[in-house]
Amino acid sequence: MTGAVIEAEGVWLTRNGGIILEDVSLTINSGDFFAIIGPNGGGKTTLLRIFLGLIAPTRGEVRVFGGPPSENRMRLGYVPQSRTFDFQYPISVMQMVLSGRLGHVHRVPRRYRSEDRTAAEEALETMGISHLADRMIQGLSGGEQQRVVIARALVGDPEVLLLDEPTVYVDTPTEAEFYKVLATLAQRMTVVLVTHDIGVIVSHVNKVACLNRRLFTHDSREISADMIDRAYGCPVDLIAHGLPHRVFRHHEEGE
Amino acid sequence: MVAVSGGISHAAFGGIGIGYFLGIDPILGAVGFTLGIALLIGTLRQFARQHLDTLIGAVWAAGMAIGILFVYLTPGFAPDLFGYLFGNILLVPSSDIVLLAVLIVVILAVVAFYYHDLLAITFDEEYATVMNLPVQQIMLLLLALIALTVVMLIQVVGIILVIALLTLPAAISREFSTGISHMMVYAVILGCVFTTIGIFLSYLLDVPSGATIILISTAAYAGVTGFTLLRRS
Repeated sequence: MTGAVIEAEGVWLTRNGGIILEDVSLTINSGDFFAIIGPNGGGKTTLLRIFLGLIAPTRGEVRVFGGPPSENRMRLGYVPQSRTFDFQYPISVMQMVLSGRLGHVHRVPRRYRSEDRTAAEEALETMGISHLADRMIQGLSGGEQQRVVIARALVGDPEVLLLDEPTVYVDTPTEAEFYKVLATLAQRMTVVLVTHDIGVIVSHVNKVACLNRRLFTHDSREISADMIDRAYGCPVDLIAHGLPHRVFRHHEEGE
Repeated sequence: MVAVSGGISHAAFGGIGIGYFLGIDPILGAVGFTLGIALLIGTLRQFARQHLDTLIGAVWAAGMAIGILFVYLTPGFAPDLFGYLFGNILLVPSSDIVLLAVLIVVILAVVAFYYHDLLAITFDEEYATVMNLPVQQIMLLLLALIALTVVMLIQVVGIILVIALLTLPAAISREFSTGISHMMVYAVILGCVFTTIGIFLSYLLDVPSGATIILISTAAYAGVTGFTLLRRS
């Protein structure tokens, strides 16, 4: 399987008169381990949510496997940054991971079949948390919770895994181990990793883009000083001083 | 969902007022009106992107206002509204009991049928959306079920106290259950126990049954919470 899995063309998003994303274009190909870095508030999470069809862009087009996101998003696995759910909810690890299979259960009433359970057991094993299967999610540590969230994304056999700041809840000693797991996953599927942490990603990733309202790409794993400067430096300056910053105009933006 | 039940139960008062005005069974008025309100909340939340909190506040106040207005406009003797505010399980007519039984069967059947959908959507609506589950339809269904449940409970404990009977047994059972299905069963059992003890005590002490049932539930909730705190420390 080769070719583009996610394509964005001239995507703009404005909210309440402010520009969140400005003319963002990028192509994520099958097999990529694609990192999108940028400062907090730069629009990284928003861009992922546009890929997932949770937000419609104001202008521009997004295609997932060549079609509209809402049609093909079941083929994506999603690990959200903010907790979109309540960790006090009385649900076991196994039940939560199983719930990630519901997109594949089309017969109503939806009931899990043995293949769904097998997939859930495999996902738990991949994330090294088989022993937690029967525990309630509310008793877990931050790192364990995060593994469950990723297992839920894996259980639907996604072709692309979208991870939004996956190490926020993980403490530093387990972080290295965490990226090892991600590297293993990246051999099986396309991985899109969103993070504000520039240091950790370089060793595993094969493509990097910087996002701070605009997207700056390099089409390689190199993060040039120039990219960082443009993604982190200039727009921050712009916001801080409210002055136009000429440096933008001398460079080519996007792909 | 606690606030949703609060909003819907107070909005039900509007339905009762309209029922009086039209000269039909006020409970039928409440069923129709609360269902309408539930669907309105669900739709506005989705399409007008309004906060659930705001919608609940609007529905809560408007429902009460509509009820008062229509009762005022109804010619003749002012009905016993106090009964609807605080309820009286001993005065539920047998025709209503049949209606309630039908509602219970409908609710149980829907929950059994859509169990996994309901679980996924109440747990993580966004992820359910990404999986292309029929989130909007199931959410409307859930709101409709809450509306029907609220109307059932108004008969027993009244509008003001519905929230307590919907939330306290569930909150207590959550401390002990190992899953949402267990929690549902425990909450039902606790609800029955509280109601029975409440009726019994209200008879012995000759006090209103609705208020007694709620105070029993609240005391149990306070006791369990205190016990859990002590055990933790």
